[in-house]
Amino acid sequence: MSANKTSRIGEETRVDKVNAELVTLTYGTIVAQLCQDYDSDYQEVNKQLDKMGYNIGMRLIEDFLAKSGVGRCANFKETADMIAKVGFKIFLNVTPTVTNWASDNNQFSLIFEDNPLADFVELPDDGRAQDELWFSNILCGVLRGSLEMVQMQIEAHFVSDVLRGDETTEMRVSLVRYIEDEMPPEEE
Amino acid sequence: MSYYFTILSPTDTPLFNIAFGTSKGGGDGIARFRFPETAQYMNQFIIHSSLDILEEAQWTNGAMYLKHIDTYPPAAAYISAFLTPSGARFLLLHQPPHLPSSTSTGSGLGSSSLLGSAGSTTRASSSSVAANPTSPQTEEAVRQFMNEVYENYVKTAMSPFYKQGMEIKSPVFRTRVTAAGKKWL
Amino acid sequence: MPSITRTVFSLIVINKAGGLIYQREFQPGLRKLSTNDYLVLAGTFHGVHAITRSITPKIPIAQPAPSPATSSPSATAPTASGYSYPNPGVPVTGLDYLETDKFRLTCFQTLTGTKFLLFTDPLTGNVENIVQKIYELYADYVMKNPFYQLEMPVRIRLVHILVSGDDSVSYTKTTHFSRTIERTQQGGSRIQDKQK
Repeated sequence: MSANKTSRIGEETRVDKVNAELVTLTYGTIVAQLCQDYDSDYQEVNKQLDKMGYNIGMRLIEDFLAKSGVGRCANFKETADMIAKVGFKIFLNVTPTVTNWASDNNQFSLIFEDNPLADFVELPDDGRAQDELWFSNILCGVLRGSLEMVQMQIEAHFVSDVLRGDETTEMRVSLVRYIEDEMPPEEE
Repeated sequence: MSYYFTILSPTDTPLFNIAFGTSKGGGDGIARFRFPETAQYMNQFIIHSSLDILEEAQWTNGAMYLKHIDTYPPAAAYISAFLTPSGARFLLLHQPPHLPSSTSTGSGLGSSSLLGSAGSTTRASSSSVAANPTSPQTEEAVRQFMNEVYENYVKTAMSPFYKQGMEIKSPVFRTRVTAAGKKWL
Repeated sequence: MPSITRTVFSLIVINKAGGLIYQREFQPGLRKLSTNDYLVLAGTFHGVHAITRSITPKIPIAQPAPSPATSSPSATAPTASGYSYPNPGVPVTGLDYLETDKFRLTCFQTLTGTKFLLFTDPLTGNVENIVQKIYELYADYVMKNPFYQLEMPVRIRLVHILVSGDDSVSYTKTTHFSRTIERTQQGGSRIQDKQK
């Protein structure tokens, strides 16, 4: 599928709109509450966010497929384009840049110019959050969950975040393997 | 002109303080209060003492920006106020530089006025923001400043890690207030 | 009987492991199978579907020469190193539909492995549209319900998918909270209309 066509699907897919501040504040409250509940154990907060995202992704993928009407991607490059130009476009109205491909084409980075989840956010100044908390970690989980449902096992993590004072917000996504059959072997 | 800006929560807890000087008319943005030894606590004292007047003034009209509400003649301090709908108070103390031909308000200062003798020798035109605290131009400039601070205050308050009524420690907010001061005052 | 020509009889949803997660009739008075029979039907269809995927004919891969510069006559012969589907770009779908004189079964499998089985009259047109709309409703009202456990039977009383004679699909929300679910045997539950 051509890159242009992919962009067009992202533009044209109709989705219900919701006030961006509501999303931002809701998500921010969740993260802040998690930080409080786990006594600022940010590793654990990252893990919980990823887990929440995973559960969201497993459900969201059906919405994505039903509304966008796209078919199976032929390769991981196409998948990356689909994630950036259709997935992020229809759910967060941003289009991260796909870049930094590894030589085996199984690893890429998403660079977020704009991250609606992190608007207004300033990380706690306890000296650790800046180094340990990945505020938008839920997105990693969403990708992991949704791609697993379409037979791709991936690993995703943030490598930089403007909230921490980095230049860019970058997520690294690597394909672990294609899950060969959607059925577990013992079911056959 | 030197400025001292304070944000007070609806329950009178100070949330934020900053002192800065004018950047207009060649100013370097550094606060030079007339009585540097006592300015640090006197400014707070003067600002807080205007709260009673502010609480009267806030019912006179529905505006958020209440303009110049109070003057403390001994220090030539002028107070402008801005109210947010949620009840936070933005108070700006402005103090014109000490002038040789100072207004009579300084008459009660006695010997302490000597401390301010390093005051500027240049005199800006009376209508400029830097010199005349009650001119319409100044009021307009302060209004712009307050609005910009308000906008940034809202953004800061939206941060999920900021709790209402907590001191604003955000360095970003401080930078933005400084920038607003530079831009308008 | 001209009135029955555009008819949707019933809908079955099968999860990716072959379990029945939803079953509903759209025609009043249809003879019902027992819940157990539906479970068996779902499991059997799932197996048949998997078989149709695996028996898709494969042709030997015509191996191109390892490097054109050293091409020799032997390289043109297909080696038996691998087989491929006739058109590798198009994924293997397995059973898409099954037709008899009396009914037509359309199977729509999503990329996630969920199967929607729609039983219709053979003359019913636009079945793809109906299935697509059902899929959207499923995405909205089943998958987005935070209390729905994935791969488990759909027992949401909120959704009553109604398929009318013309290919429009609509839904209604029941606001009353009275129990409309008849719990049947474990693993299967069905929505029963309170009105019935």
